[in-house]
Amino acid sequence: MSLEEVKEWLYGCTRCGTCKEVLNISVPSCPAGERFKLESYFPSGKLFIGRAVLEGALTLADDDTLERIYACTGCRSCEQQCGVYHHEHIFESVQAIRTEAVTQGFLNPAYMVMVDGLRRDDNVFGKPKAERGAWAEGLELKDATREKVDVLYHAGCMLSFERELWEVPRSVVAVLKAAGVAVGVMGREESCCGGRAYEIGYLGEFTKYAQHSMETFNALGVNRVVTSCSDGYSTFKALYPKVEGKMNFEVLHMVEYLDQLIKEGRIKFGKQLSKKVTYHDPCHLGRHVSPGVYEPPRDILKSIPGVELVEMERIRENSWCCGAGGGVKEACPELALWTAGERISEAIATGADTLVTACPWCERNFKDAVEESGAKLDILDIAELAAQAV
Amino acid sequence: MLEAAVISGVVKELEKVVGSEFVSTNQGDLYIYSQDMTQAEPSWPDLVVLPKTVEEVQATLRLANKEKVPVIPYIAGGNIGGLTIPLKGGMVLDLKRMNRIIEVNETDMYAIIEPGVSFGHMKAYLERHHPGLMYTYAFSPPSTSVMGNALLLGLDNLSFRYGSASHWTSGMEVVLPTGELVRIGSCAVSEGWQDRDPLPDLAGLFLGWQGATGVVTKIAVSVWPKPKHTAAINCLTMDMDSAYQLLRTISRTRVPDDIIGLSYTWARATQSATETNVKISSYPARATSPGEPEFVITAEISGNTENELKAKVEVIEEVVKEELEGIKVLGPQTSPSTTAQYPMQVLGLLSSGGGLTWVGTYGPMSKWLETVKKGCEIQDRHGFTRSCYTRVMREGHFVALRWLLPFNKEDPDEIRRIRELCTEQLDMVIDMGFIPYKTPVWAIRKLEERADPNWVELHRRVKGMLDPNNIMNPGRWGAPQE
Repeated sequence: MSLEEVKEWLYGCTRCGTCKEVLNISVPSCPAGERFKLESYFPSGKLFIGRAVLEGALTLADDDTLERIYACTGCRSCEQQCGVYHHEHIFESVQAIRTEAVTQGFLNPAYMVMVDGLRRDDNVFGKPKAERGAWAEGLELKDATREKVDVLYHAGCMLSFERELWEVPRSVVAVLKAAGVAVGVMGREESCCGGRAYEIGYLGEFTKYAQHSMETFNALGVNRVVTSCSDGYSTFKALYPKVEGKMNFEVLHMVEYLDQLIKEGRIKFGKQLSKKVTYHDPCHLGRHVSPGVYEPPRDILKSIPGVELVEMERIRENSWCCGAGGGVKEACPELALWTAGERISEAIATGADTLVTACPWCERNFKDAVEESGAKLDILDIAELAAQAV
Repeated sequence: MLEAAVISGVVKELEKVVGSEFVSTNQGDLYIYSQDMTQAEPSWPDLVVLPKTVEEVQATLRLANKEKVPVIPYIAGGNIGGLTIPLKGGMVLDLKRMNRIIEVNETDMYAIIEPGVSFGHMKAYLERHHPGLMYTYAFSPPSTSVMGNALLLGLDNLSFRYGSASHWTSGMEVVLPTGELVRIGSCAVSEGWQDRDPLPDLAGLFLGWQGATGVVTKIAVSVWPKPKHTAAINCLTMDMDSAYQLLRTISRTRVPDDIIGLSYTWARATQSATETNVKISSYPARATSPGEPEFVITAEISGNTENELKAKVEVIEEVVKEELEGIKVLGPQTSPSTTAQYPMQVLGLLSSGGGLTWVGTYGPMSKWLETVKKGCEIQDRHGFTRSCYTRVMREGHFVALRWLLPFNKEDPDEIRRIRELCTEQLDMVIDMGFIPYKTPVWAIRKLEERADPNWVELHRRVKGMLDPNNIMNPGRWGAPQE
């Protein structure tokens, strides 16, 4: 959307401050605001920046001002806390400012790396497209581009190219195989969902990927697309319906599918683990979709023998962001790590030895934060934990 | 605005004090801090600084004095009065990083807090660590500052008992404009922060002054035992005269903890906005239906036991029935109290397009009826929905009175109408003997015109004594004659 299109939301804000904290427990909700403390970094401040640009009082030809706009993970916790009529449009407004910056030719170099990668190799990392399916080597999975599959597993950019996280999709495959599911993959033909392009203001790129993905999945006759990536999940579920095109397939996050298989009795956990875990609700699996997916991961964890689940204070719709979303991992790496560090501290305070999540972007950023701080906390995807118990 | 060379030099020095990431001359920041939700004209600061410690505040004020740079203390900026808009440029001293709850003394019932502690923070902290104690709350979002509310003599849900929030301020630590650190109250002569009595009360040098005489870095506020049982008693009056009699009569029972009244039409609109997240507006005026009540009056009561609560409800019901026979009232009707949670219906007030203002006043109960009628009549003539809000203060010794005016900041015509309405209401309330609280600068000048000249002069002398270089939020109370 353009700035003019979100004008009503920009003017809806009184800067009451409700967006800054989780209601009723009064703990911080906005990573950028909490890190930098200046009003311009809080959600209300960003709305005011948008207003100022519209009024001509501010120019986007100022790296310092643009930094405020880039320093938003798109976690949408502000939208959860805000009680005013524009509350569902805060991140949309931030995106509109980002789009305006792109339109005016103020390009963020970190964003350009992602966009160039998409244009050249269909992924946000700029890694060779030919390497996309390498994580699945040796697993003898069905090639969904050659034969019809009922269930297509979409790994997503992070899990396809981040070797350190390959245990996640491999664990998914192991668990699905144990459940008797003949899952297929697209290998090197898989493309980015386009979600990150949307968040950083490149609407044209997003639309291109959305239409391509919908057409491809429809053409392949896939009934069900399952993904471990919460960003991808929310893109498919919440953003694709905004684009012209039909979706003749169901979209599930891996936790929803796994939970379903467990409840159907198709997965049996034969091994006893010994772990005290706490669960991080990814923003894109919670606030970005309606309804948010909060119960299935918890049900999975409770069904794994030997796993004790302890909860953090900021959970479910009030979950603190991991710090990786909205292009922040690329454009503001220090903020991304700081945000993850806050979450790591919160997890450690529960007494848990493991932080479990359901998004590879969260997992990557948490691992980076643990490495930087030396904190003693294991970081696992829920599928990895499930695979250990099968 | 300051000269660029001065700003540059000040920024360099401030970066040594607080660190470079907590000093900003970013135009986005300056735009934000230049305005608030009211109709006040924006006025830009030159820079923003965010100290974390008392020493940093002291160093900042010494520098500001040396360079003659105005300093505007800021916490949440949620006041309805334009009080943190820099009238003469300078630096906004954003105190939100100072947000510790330093001590809660359970026996003497006070909490020592820093400026950045919000009502929400205080409530959550007490619930977690001192569940038998409570603080009050204002009719504002939970992010607003406890200290800000107290220093500005705000009204809270125990104001019926104790008056404005300054009355339960039992001590302070202040950085004077010249950088010295002083304590006010019992904490100045002992370890305890339990009260300002029986010392000469120097708190008046800082309460109500809108940051023009120093920066309060710690405040002690009373906390109270949390009541076990609460209820709200609601009455709907069909006209203002009945509302007045009801307010007076219930006040004189001395039973409630809080008594508030609100124009019925507006009460309905904001409740609906809070529930449905729709945009509302007080302009043009909402039509009223025939036979619709004029006013909603709510008395909040509490009890140590259920029997005590029941007895208090019976007192109110009996008094309303017997002493107010003949008045046009529906009720009283008892319902669960909202005191356990924040009055989140306040968010309905914030749902109109980014603007909220009012002419907020404290004044005599004896003039309430006439003033309310005049204020509502002014709203009628200007085409705004009647939105009178009132709270009985200190058991009826005075009252708070205002007309809530949310408005659309996107609409220049609506802003113009709001300004015209407020100007007329302000002149009227001052004529009636009501005094604007959290006094906006334009109201200060009107009050100074008609005030005892010696009183005005005393303000100037106090301000001049404490702030010889006139750096602290200049242009407001005690401003030198220009």
